This record gives sequence, C-alpha cells and structure tokens, in this order.
Amino acid sequence: MEVAVQILFNTFVAGAIYALVAIGFNLIYSTARFFDVGYAGIAIGAAYVVLYTYKTLQFPLVISIACGVIAAGGLGWVIEKTIYKPLRVRKASNTVLLVASIGVLTVLQSILALLFTSQFQTLSRDIGSLHVLEFGGGAITETQVIIIVTAIILMCAVMYVLRYSLFGKAIRAIADDEEVARIVGIPSERLIGFVFFLGSAIGGVAGIASGFDSGVHPTSGLTLVLEGIIAAIIGGIGNVGRGVLGALLLAAIENVGVWLVSGEWRGAIAFAVLILVLLFRPRGIFST
Amino acid sequence: MDYLLHIAILASIWSILALSLNLVVGEMGLVSLAHAAFFGIGAYTTALITQAGMNFFLALFIGMGVAALCALLIGAVLSRFKGDIYVLGSLGFTVIVYSLFLNAQDITHGPLGIAGIMRPTLFGFSFSSSTAYLILSVVFLAVTYACCVFVTNSAFGRIVHAIREDETIATLLGYRTVQYKLLMFIIAASFAALAGSLYASYISFIDPSSFTLNVSIFILATIILGGLANSRGAILGAVILIALPEALRFVGFPTDIAAQMRLLTYGAILIALMLYRPQGLLGTFRL
Repeated sequence: MEVAVQILFNTFVAGAIYALVAIGFNLIYSTARFFDVGYAGIAIGAAYVVLYTYKTLQFPLVISIACGVIAAGGLGWVIEKTIYKPLRVRKASNTVLLVASIGVLTVLQSILALLFTSQFQTLSRDIGSLHVLEFGGGAITETQVIIIVTAIILMCAVMYVLRYSLFGKAIRAIADDEEVARIVGIPSERLIGFVFFLGSAIGGVAGIASGFDSGVHPTSGLTLVLEGIIAAIIGGIGNVGRGVLGALLLAAIENVGVWLVSGEWRGAIAFAVLILVLLFRPRGIFST
Repeated sequence: MDYLLHIAILASIWSILALSLNLVVGEMGLVSLAHAAFFGIGAYTTALITQAGMNFFLALFIGMGVAALCALLIGAVLSRFKGDIYVLGSLGFTVIVYSLFLNAQDITHGPLGIAGIMRPTLFGFSFSSSTAYLILSVVFLAVTYACCVFVTNSAFGRIVHAIREDETIATLLGYRTVQYKLLMFIIAASFAALAGSLYASYISFIDPSSFTLNVSIFILATIILGGLANSRGAILGAVILIALPEALRFVGFPTDIAAQMRLLTYGAILIALMLYRPQGLLGTFRL
C-alpha cells in the first residue's frame, strides 16, 4: 500500500516534468515540423542560469528563475532565427534540420561543461532544510509539490491560449498548413519565432524543475528531453493535450518498472516502451 | 613516431566505422545513431571471448555475428520507419545498449570496464608492436573499403539507391524495400563491430564511456564532413576529424577542457555543414 502511494507520488512528479518538456516540444514540432534536439541544451541551459544567478550571484529565487526562463526563451529564438530559419527558407528536409539541431545540442552541452565543469551539481542552496510532506505512507518534498502545481497551471494556460486566443488559432493554422496560413495573411515567420521563444521557455521551466528535483549535469538535458519526446510520441505527436497524457503514462510505466527492476534501467525502459508503441500504434496510443 | 603511428591506427579504425555508417546514412539516406552500439557490441564480445582464451580472429568474427544478430532484431523494427522516427529509434537502441554495458555488471564489469585485453596473434606471430598493428588495421580497412564499394556497386546496392531516391516506386516495381534496408543495415552493423574488435584489442581496455551517444554523433559528423554516399569521403572525414583535434593537445589544454573543445568543434562542424554545404566535401548525396 505504502509502495503504491509512493509510486503514485513519483509518477506525478516525473509526469509533471515530462509533461512540461512534451508541451514545449509539441509546440515547436507542430509549427516547425522537425525534432528539435537542441531544445535539450536550452532546457538544461536555463537550469544553469538559475544555478549561476541563484547560488553564485545570490539573487532571490523568483528573480533567478525568471532569468533562467527568459534566457531559455531568448536562446531558442536566436537559434531559430540564425540556424533553423535559413534552413527552412532553403526548403531543407527535416532530417537536415534534425542534424543541425544535434550540432546545436553538442555545442551547447560543451559550452555548459566548459563554463560550469561537467560535475553533477544541485540547485538548492541548502539541502538540509527540505520540507518533506507525508500522506498515506508516501513522502513528497515541498519542491515537488510546487513543480506539480506549476506544471498544471502552465498546461492549462497553454491549452487555453491555443484553443481560444487569436494567437492560438494562428498557430494551429500554421501547424495545419504553413503555406495556406501565409496566403491568408498570417505572419508565419514571426509567429514561428514566437513559438520557439515560448516552447523554449517552457522547456526551460522543465529544466529548472528537474534541476531543483534531482540536480544538473550538462548531459542531463538530453535525458530529460528524450523522455519528453517519447512522452509526446506515445501520446500522439504534435498535440499538446495528448502529450500530457503520454507523459503521465510514461512516468507511471517507468516508476513501476524501476520499482520492479532497478533505477539504472529507467532510460532503457522508456525506449523499450517507445519501440513497442512504434511497432503497434505508430501514431500514438491516444490518437484517434 | 609512435605517436604518429597511434593516430594512424585510430584513423583507420575510425575510417572503418565511417565507411560502414556511410552504407546506412549515405546509401539509404537514413540517419542512424545506433552505430556506437554496434561498435560497442563488437568491442565487448571480442574482449570477453579473447579473455576466455579464444583466438582474436575467431572472436572478431563472433563479434561481427553478434552485432549482425542485434542489427537483425532492431533493424526489423527500424526499417519500417524513416526520417525523425528512425533517428529517435536508433538513438534509443544506443541508450539501451549503453545501459546494458553499464548495468549488466556480472558480464561487463559495469563502469569499471574490461582491462588487459590481449593483442591478436596469428600462427605464433603477435601484433604487439604499433607498426604491426597499423598494418593489421590498414588491411582490415582495405577489406572494408573493398566490401563497401562492392556492395554499393552491386545490383543489390543499386536497388538500395533506388529505394533512397523513391521508395514508393521501388515498391511498385516489386522490391520488398524493408528487406533490402534491413540487409544493408546488418552489413553496416557487422563492419562497425569489426572496428569495435580492433579498437578493444588495440587500446586493451574498454568501458561503457567509449560507446556513448557522443560517439554516434562523432561518426555521423565524420561522414557528413567527408561527404555522404562516397567511400573516399568517409575515410577523408575520419582522417580529418581524428587528426585535427590532436592539434588541440599541443596548445596545452587540460584533458577535460580539450575533450569539451573537441565536442564543441564537432557540433559547430555539423551546424556549419548543414547551413553551407549539406553534401560535405566529396559527397554526391544530400540529406
């Protein structure tokens, strides 16, 4: 029973972080139509900005998180304008864009390792004062509760904006058919730039959240984003709501799997799930 | 002089990897990140079998066989996909194999790795000197080169080309495209395992960190730089990317920083190539 409650808690924490990654990834994928792996470097870069401003410069927590999120968004926008947009203009295939984004990831990771060493680091100032809450035999930290609440708020905000605002409608139009959207007067290039800002900022929130939950390492961004991409594919790629469902499902499978086997196999479990889904439901479990 | 020999040996091992990956990325147009896994499978199989006392050359063939078997299993899934999903699936395979190397401690000794791997011997002659080993690896490189050129120019290779250019038409002409793609993938994987065997017995020590995703990205950068669908290009790329960062060593950076600078260079090369020369130096095919 206690194990079940703990697994449930862990599922919600992991699911919240994966869901954030999947939302940002799906936003970018739905408009730009390629797997942006460089997104991983941006997400973990945000966590390193928080590490620097919060621990070295001693900024207040809220301001350093804001710095991290804005830096992530800005970086996403700059990379889109300098690298991805010229490639798109030239009608490069999405494999070319993917290879370029692998390059972006490699560059970002090595810059982070040069600036902050490739050691594992924690974001919290003092680990001793962690507030642990207990319900029904399971333990959850205050940070984790904040992560879950933030994820739910962001999720609802993004879904509301996509569904009801003019901006959201324009984004959905671009996702549907970019050329036609341009013909009817939607400024698609500017909006795609904005989507990269927004998606990268949400990825930054995910990176910061996982940094507070389990620490940062230059390569931990890739691990995180791969889970997010797998969640997005399991749910049905390009759809924000289904991505969230996929994230919760993946987190549940992983946590039960980790309980049955051991923690080191988390990544292998996730990819085994991915391969099974690709074999039997290549368009995602929740797609119609 | 020994240092130059060392670089030459590494360059020929990496050329074998580049040649074999070129069969997948260049000839089929499928970006695979699974190559580090097959490289590792070859290295671990050979290391474990030679330590049990078997001759290196037999162990090498067994390593190639094991890699081919793994390629058959994962390729049967992957060959149905292309584009992004293919990249992600092959990446997943590398992650799974890496965590096997790391966590199956009873067999692979986990992060400690396997030390004291023997240099090969043949009819009483030991390839223990650098010169002898260089000759051995160049011979294997020549064999790989010949095989790759033969495969791409054969009737089979031309059908694979046709599939790359237009899979629908190839299907309409009656070719079972999945089988062709699968066979090419298996051939590529076995040569990657050959490179792995050579690497293991040359360095004499292997651990999981030599077979990470970064290695897959490195091999990919190599062949894209040299030029896709061009065997000479693959070798050129490997030689450039092995020799060039060695210059960083003489600038006098500490090892960790030098390693990161090297990664930075590879990443920047990938971006610059995609932007300005997607077909690489000698390439005949662009992604």
